[in-house]
Amino acid sequence: MALEPRLAAYIAARMPQAAEVAVHDLTRISGGASRETYRFRLTWREDGQGRERRLILRRDPPASLIDTERRIEFEAYRAFAGSAVPVPQMLWLEEADEALDHPFFIAEEIAGFQASPALLFAPPYVSTLAKLGERKWTILGEIAKADAGALGLTEVMEPVAAEACWDRELSYWERVLDDDAAEPLPITRAAIRWLRANPPPPARKVGVVHGDFRTGNFLYDEAGGIHGVLDWEMCHLGDPLEDLGWSFNPVWSFGQGLAGGLLPRAEAISVWERASGLTADPAALHWWELFNCVKGQAIWISSARVFLDGGNREPITVYPPWALQNAQDRATLQVMGRL
Amino acid sequence: MIPAVPAVLAEIAGIAVRNALPDVHPADRASSLGLSAALLGMAAEVWDGMAARLVEENRAVRRLLARGGEVGLDLAALAAGSDEDLRISALKAANDALRAGLIDLHAAAEAKGATELEAAIWAELRASTERRKLAASPV
Repeated sequence: MALEPRLAAYIAARMPQAAEVAVHDLTRISGGASRETYRFRLTWREDGQGRERRLILRRDPPASLIDTERRIEFEAYRAFAGSAVPVPQMLWLEEADEALDHPFFIAEEIAGFQASPALLFAPPYVSTLAKLGERKWTILGEIAKADAGALGLTEVMEPVAAEACWDRELSYWERVLDDDAAEPLPITRAAIRWLRANPPPPARKVGVVHGDFRTGNFLYDEAGGIHGVLDWEMCHLGDPLEDLGWSFNPVWSFGQGLAGGLLPRAEAISVWERASGLTADPAALHWWELFNCVKGQAIWISSARVFLDGGNREPITVYPPWALQNAQDRATLQVMGRL
Repeated sequence: MIPAVPAVLAEIAGIAVRNALPDVHPADRASSLGLSAALLGMAAEVWDGMAARLVEENRAVRRLLARGGEVGLDLAALAAGSDEDLRISALKAANDALRAGLIDLHAAAEAKGATELEAAIWAELRASTERRKLAASPV
C-alpha cells in the first residue's frame, strides 16, 4: 500500500476529534542519509470545519550511516520547544515497525526558509552572512548554556562524568572506524594517537551537545535569521566544546575560509562565549576540533560501509565518502598544523 | 575512492533506468538524478589520473617503508613490491597494504622519536591528499 493512506490512518488514530484525515503532496526531501525525510500536507475536518497543517515525517531507512535512537532525537527537539533555541514542534513518535515499516516521528514543518549551504554564498543571502553567523553561534551558546536536567534530557541520555567526556566520544568513534573502515586511514590514525596522548582537561560543564550543529542543519531567512535547528539525531550529554569544535570543522567552511563559511573563527568563539557564559579554553577547543575531524571521517566512511554491505546503495551513501573523505583528511592536517 | 568507481557507476546505471519509468515521483527523481550527476562528475574527474596517482603513491610509500629498520621494523618485503598489474583494483589493493604498513611505521617513528622519518611521513601524507584533491574540495 502507498505511504499516504498508511500515514493518514496512523494520524487519524491519534486525532479522535478529526474526521476525513488525509495526506497530500507527500514529497521526499533530498539529503539526509540517516533518516528519510518527507514533507506533506495534512487535511481533516473538525467541528464542522476543514483544517490543514504542513508536517514532516522522519522515518528510519532500511540501513543508516549513523545508528541513532530516534527517541533521543525526538526528546531533544521536545526539550528545546519554546526556548531560545528554535526547533520544530514534535507531534508523534512511533518506535514500532508496523505502521510504516520502520520507526518514525512526525513534526510540524517550519516552511518558507532555506537549509542548503549552497544558497548562502550568492544574493540575497551573501550580504547577511555575518548576521547569520552571529545568530548561529548565539544559538549554539544557548544550547551549551541549557540545563540538561531541567530539560528532562538526563532521563533519556546516557550520563557522563566531566573527566570522561573526551574518552567516551573518542572511543565510540574509534570503534566506528575500526568496524567500518574499508581502507587504511593513516592521517586519521595519527590524529587518534595524538588525541590519546594529549587529552583535554575535564569539561567545565556537562551539558547538551547537539552533535551535528553546522551550517546546513538550520533553517535561515534572507535577513540572517534562524528559524529552526534540525538534525538532533546525535544529541548527547557531554562537553559543550565538542559542538563548538564540530562547528569549526574545516569541511563546513565551504571553501570560504571562514568558520562555517560565515564568520572569522575568533569572532564565532566570542559570540559563543557571550551566549553560553562559558570560556573556550584554546587547548581544549583545539582537542575537540581535532576530535571532530576524526568523528567526521568516521561518519563518511560509515556511509561507504552502508553501500558496501548492500544495506543502502542510494547515491546519498556514496556522496559523503567521495566528496568529503579526502577533504576531511586535509582538514585533519590543517588542524594539526601539518597542511 | 571507496566505494569503488565501477560499483558506483553500475548502481547509477540502475538508477537511470528506474528513473526513466513514468511513475517515479518528480521530487524523488530530482533528488536521485541530482546526486547521481554529482557522483558522475567526481568519477569523471578522477578517472584519467587514478592509475598514475596510485602508482606514484605506492612508489613513495615503498621508499618510506624501506626505512623501517630506522625504527626497528622489518618492512622490507612490503617495500620490495612493484606495480606490475596496472588494473586499478590491483593498484588499490597494493596501496591499502602499503598504507597499512605506513600507519605502523608512523606510530613507530613517533614512539622512537625518529623526527626526520616522521617529517618524511607527514610530507607523504600531505602529498597523498594533494593527489586525491577534487576541484570542489572545501579544504
